[in-house]
Amino acid sequence: MRIKLTSIMVDDQEKGLRFYTDVLGFRKKHDIPVGEYRWITVTSPEGPDDVELALEPNANPAGKAFQTAMFTQGIPLAAFEVADLAGEFKRLTGHGVVFTKEPTPAGPITLAVFADTCGNLIQIYQRA
Amino acid sequence: MLLRHEGFRRLCRARDLLLDTRERPLTIHELARDIQISPFHLIRQFEAVFGSTPHQFRQASRLELARQLLASGQHSVTEVCMEVGFSSLGSFSVLFTRRMGETPSAYQRRMRRVFAVPCLVSQHLMPGCLTLMGRIPRSSWPE
Repeated sequence: MRIKLTSIMVDDQEKGLRFYTDVLGFRKKHDIPVGEYRWITVTSPEGPDDVELALEPNANPAGKAFQTAMFTQGIPLAAFEVADLAGEFKRLTGHGVVFTKEPTPAGPITLAVFADTCGNLIQIYQRA
Repeated sequence: MLLRHEGFRRLCRARDLLLDTRERPLTIHELARDIQISPFHLIRQFEAVFGSTPHQFRQASRLELARQLLASGQHSVTEVCMEVGFSSLGSFSVLFTRRMGETPSAYQRRMRRVFAVPCLVSQHLMPGCLTLMGRIPRSSWPE
């Protein structure tokens, strides 16, 4: 059993795709119409091409309620590993990304948290 | 931009107030006054965090609610328009069409066609992710 697909809810799939590709630097892999929505997945150019992140719509009120509650509590819904946290913090800040936690040592890692403009807080971390 | 806890809390409150359709909608100035920042900073910070201005955010949430009400098939287009807080049917129709790609009435007719025909596929066989994504009302599935 392998982990090949994970997902995160976004409040607008087109907005989410633009942020996760143009700002975060992921690459679109799939973009398939599914009724009113799209099956959109992205991959990292720094990782295997078959590990995908799906950008799912949060149309279900239960999903929206969960997403909103986690956001309000300041809890990230995904975490991505980076090689240079200070560099990423500077790069993303230059893109206008809002951080709720600047690079902060946390045991074996250093982490930071930002808003992805689609209803989520995202954590990026660098191993020591 | 680094947003400290208090600033983050204020923006979350602004978001919640924008989503509250029960009361008279607050103006941007009233919203800014409530969370104790200037309208300029409210708009700028809100857009940076949520990817849309407060006005756009409120409009999008209203249109999404409208989409769900139209899909349920239990309200007329006019009723839905009023229910989600639009005072003009014309404006509602234009905005809905722009966002969804079809008029409210066309959307509602399409939803009725999809769920009026006896479903050949049992709900249990429909991928759960599709029903979750589409927020298809349970009442739409035939017994």
